[in-house]
Amino acid sequence: MAPITVTPWRLVLPEAMKAELFAHLFPGDNDEHGAIILAGVCQTDRGLKLVARELHLAIDGKDYVPGRHGYRMLKGEFIQSRILRARDLKLAYLAIHNHGGTTSVGFSSDDFASHERGYPSLVDISRGLPVGALVFARSAVAGDLWFEDKQRAPLKEAIVLGQRRELLYPSPLKTTQVRRLEFDRQSRLFGDAGQELLRSLRIGIIGLGGAGSILAELLGRLGIGEFVLADPDRAEVANLPRLIAARRMDAIIDWLPRGLRTRFARYKVEMAARNIRRANPSARIVALQANFLEPDVAKQLVDCDYLFLAADTMGARLLFNAIVHQHGVPGVQVGAKVPVSPSGEVGDVFCVARKVTPGHGCLWCNGLINPSRLQDEAVSDEARRGYAYVADPQVAAPSVITLNAIACSHAADDFLFQVTGLKNQDAQQDWFRWNSRKGTAGYDGPRRDLECLECSSVDDSRLGRGDFFPLPTRAK
Amino acid sequence: MTSITPIVEKAIAQIRASFPDCPLESVPDGGGGAFVTLNSVPLGHPWAQTDTWIGFQITFQYPYADVYPHFVRPDLKRADGQPFGPGLGQAQFQNQSAVQVSRKSNKLNPAIDTAALKLLKVLQWLRSQ
Ligand SMILES: [Zn+2]
Ligand SMILES: [Zn+2]
Repeated sequence: MAPITVTPWRLVLPEAMKAELFAHLFPGDNDEHGAIILAGVCQTDRGLKLVARELHLAIDGKDYVPGRHGYRMLKGEFIQSRILRARDLKLAYLAIHNHGGTTSVGFSSDDFASHERGYPSLVDISRGLPVGALVFARSAVAGDLWFEDKQRAPLKEAIVLGQRRELLYPSPLKTTQVRRLEFDRQSRLFGDAGQELLRSLRIGIIGLGGAGSILAELLGRLGIGEFVLADPDRAEVANLPRLIAARRMDAIIDWLPRGLRTRFARYKVEMAARNIRRANPSARIVALQANFLEPDVAKQLVDCDYLFLAADTMGARLLFNAIVHQHGVPGVQVGAKVPVSPSGEVGDVFCVARKVTPGHGCLWCNGLINPSRLQDEAVSDEARRGYAYVADPQVAAPSVITLNAIACSHAADDFLFQVTGLKNQDAQQDWFRWNSRKGTAGYDGPRRDLECLECSSVDDSRLGRGDFFPLPTRAK
Repeated sequence: MTSITPIVEKAIAQIRASFPDCPLESVPDGGGGAFVTLNSVPLGHPWAQTDTWIGFQITFQYPYADVYPHFVRPDLKRADGQPFGPGLGQAQFQNQSAVQVSRKSNKLNPAIDTAALKLLKVLQWLRSQ
């Protein structure tokens, strides 16, 4: 294993884990309590991110006992089994306790002394995986992470993923708020701090066709600061009516010889980037003219703050679902279905926005990733030609901009209220479904398979495993 | 050309272990998966032939993807002379004439539903025709 780069770090903590931890740390006795979190390691261009995978509560008096140097300490046996587990699953180890106070917290000199005594040897046991501590107050957290060669780095922020995105810091952030006139009307809803938050986010959009194009426009106009866009396709005449601000010359270059006119059509990611820049000239955009399933493309999407899946292949669903759970990135899958039989009969026309967050059910255990279609997509056209039953890829499914717009607006709105913290705690979490022919909105409650290898915390699962677990991309 | 991934190699090893008497050939499919052919697989009733080869592709999406369809000898015939029922048809596998056996699994557990188990299920289905 290559040494891990030492940087200030972020921690991603699912809402349910935070609730369980806080019930243990703050039972109302104003005392100190202990626990251990094992977390996946994600190294990205934005620095180190740890994704909490499992929480081990220390029982008072048994695992968390009066200390030799400080007030209390985690017992050796309790630490030992967890550090070995961290080493085996390639996870970072975080020892946890709490202090009093609310919005500010920091380690005591006793705390730091114990880190200096203990962590260099724990890093040896973990074979170079980071080892450290978190100390919580009711609305604050500080962290001290140790690496090889006694290098260490502080926690920058903890991100709690749930109905509302909550950020915890060691002490309240001193923000310099810039009022941006162009966003005045929407900042009246979530404040200048909310607008600044949107500017600080990195959003991934997978698929920039009919749905992704609308998402890019909406998110660009909300003032999101950073985008990663992925789609290998160029515009075609038949997509123009569904792509925002598309021009005929994006698909056909009239002055080129007839055989070449469509060959140099504009990439869909370029068209989306053009729209985002028009809405927000300062947005930073990475436009990837490549398939999401390529390992290099997937790698650029694992450290987004939110993912929008607007590409309807089973392979894309599998990979998106994997990134959400493995790297702790919340996301939403949008799609529309317009079933028309060969005889022209129209079935139930509907669109969906399915939010996927660790702890709330996944696309795999809800049967939304069809294994046979996954196989069909992975078989090359050449091999498929010999097959007896050929699903004809030439028959394009119907696609309508209004349906895309409903799903995308719902998804973008849900995202906006989640990240700005304006969502009610008891808000609807089920998956939105709009049925156009019936004129009804409905909600599908996602199931959770407690043994699911994608979203559950069973031993071999993908959940919170970070960089040291394979993603279902194409092979390198 | 991408070589066969370790996960697909493991699936092939499991098939080899489950069918120790059947010679196995595998070639990379170029995308991390493999085309696999198992030879001298016992067939018998209700078929006229006593054995067959059986071929299939394990793609890079294994173990999430369903391993299907499977292909068997092109001259497959029922002993009673009746035509094939649904799920069987003439096709080509690796540029060779074959009879295609289409058995899809719409739900699978990647921990349990291995390529070897799927192959056993396909053979069982063939014998029950
Ligand atoms: Zn302390
Ligand atoms: Zn699941």
